[in-house]
Amino acid sequence: MSISTSGGEQRRPSVVSTGKKAPAGGKPAEGEKGAGAKPAGTAAKPGSATKSAGKSGSGARVPAGRGGGGGGKKPQQRRPITPVKVSQGRSWGSISLFVAVGVVTAAIIGYGAYAVVQNGKKWEDKAAAIDGIVNFRESDPSAVEPMAGKKSHEAGPLTYKINPPVGSSHNDAWQNCMGDVYDAPIANEHAVHSLEHGAVWVTYKSDLPADQVEQLASKVRGNEFMMMSPVQNLDKPISLQAWGYQLKLDSATDGRIDDFITALRQNATMEPQATCSGGITATGTTPRDNVPGDQQQQPVPPAGG
Amino acid sequence: MAAETGVVTTASAPEEDEVAGRGSGRWAAGTAALSLAILLGLLLGFTSGLLAPGLFRPGDTSAEAGFARDMSSHHAQAVEMAILAHGKSTNPDIQTLAADIALTQQGQIGVMQTWLKNWGLSPTGRQPRMAWMPDGAGALKDGLMPGMATDAERAELRAATGSDFDLLFLRLMLNHHLGGIHMAEGILDLSDDEQVSALAESMVAGQKKEIELIQTLQGRINSR
Repeated sequence: MSISTSGGEQRRPSVVSTGKKAPAGGKPAEGEKGAGAKPAGTAAKPGSATKSAGKSGSGARVPAGRGGGGGGKKPQQRRPITPVKVSQGRSWGSISLFVAVGVVTAAIIGYGAYAVVQNGKKWEDKAAAIDGIVNFRESDPSAVEPMAGKKSHEAGPLTYKINPPVGSSHNDAWQNCMGDVYDAPIANEHAVHSLEHGAVWVTYKSDLPADQVEQLASKVRGNEFMMMSPVQNLDKPISLQAWGYQLKLDSATDGRIDDFITALRQNATMEPQATCSGGITATGTTPRDNVPGDQQQQPVPPAGG
Repeated sequence: MAAETGVVTTASAPEEDEVAGRGSGRWAAGTAALSLAILLGLLLGFTSGLLAPGLFRPGDTSAEAGFARDMSSHHAQAVEMAILAHGKSTNPDIQTLAADIALTQQGQIGVMQTWLKNWGLSPTGRQPRMAWMPDGAGALKDGLMPGMATDAERAELRAATGSDFDLLFLRLMLNHHLGGIHMAEGILDLSDDEQVSALAESMVAGQKKEIELIQTLQGRINSR
């Protein structure tokens, strides 16, 4: 209102043109914005111009802001011509300019929001998105919680509900999970403790082709919080375990192996920053919890050559 | 939005011939435009404030993230060997060195893992080891990062005893430190992140001093 009113006092032509264009929608504003946007120096000023106009109510200031930036003198001379050009020529230019700027701004903000959301995605969500993964923490907590009548840490052999196990009671000692590639089955009672520390345990059926075994080993070797061993009576060629999670697969080339490791290695831990070294390095399915000095002194032949 | 306000008031303006009416109308429109501008400004500021940290902290494939992940794993193996030595060696000099290495590097792992958490990144990346360093792939030996002990060497260390163990531990740890220094110098070339650079510098300096100590101990054991 301030704009049109002040224009009414000093600049009849502009008011007339504004009135005509009004039904077309938004023209007065386009004219105002266009005037602000085209002269480079005044691009940031429309807001302040409006503001000062609203406050002072002086007729002299507003045409200056409107008539094309510069001083208040120019518009007085060009008055009859400029408004017509503004409403015709500038409208498309400013529309496309604003659309372009708007699209770019929205894209930048949109990308930023996407990146933040992706980064902020919890590991649980990433795990849940893996096709075929079983989350025993939700589907069957009894496979994760301590066994009936037993504590979390129990010595001696234990019987697990699922094969390979993904949690529940286990021995005091954990299996060394410093990227160890075991070439023979290991004790569940120790392996489960490694899972509790955040390890991903890669297991495979003994008859898995050697090239696939090597492909799996290359994902394990040299990576702490990873270990690998063959498992007896496995119903699928490959099975991946983290605490409370399992994913069974047919082939070592399956892309979900990396998804599983990326989502769950260390993240699935029940004891953040727990360690994988200092564990049992011996193979064999009989738990060795009470063998004195066993944890460090059992020489193990280099697994997988 | 400002445009619509303008249109509406333009239509009503001619009816109000009084100057006072025009003045109050200006006030209303000015206040509306001002509030709108402030609102938009606040919204923009809030949005960019919300997004900016996410855009400027190291990303999933950044050199900083690669370094934090890879050096954590590299350190973890040094801790494994040092804990073994601390428990197994009967040489007090080795025990002291081993305790120093194990505790220092385990502490640094905690720092690097906290970075990753603060950057909103998983401890595990999708890039291959050393991909963040120029010719990083070439530095891998059998998939192992520079200076890392092989499975065979780790098994050999577990089996060794006496001064054989001490010397093997010193040799493996010296190689391990050389590899670690190479990686720490790599991130110093690539990153200008203050906290990353500060830790990497301390790794280079600390491990160079430990290499001197390792060489002294090697000489001492060999001259017996």
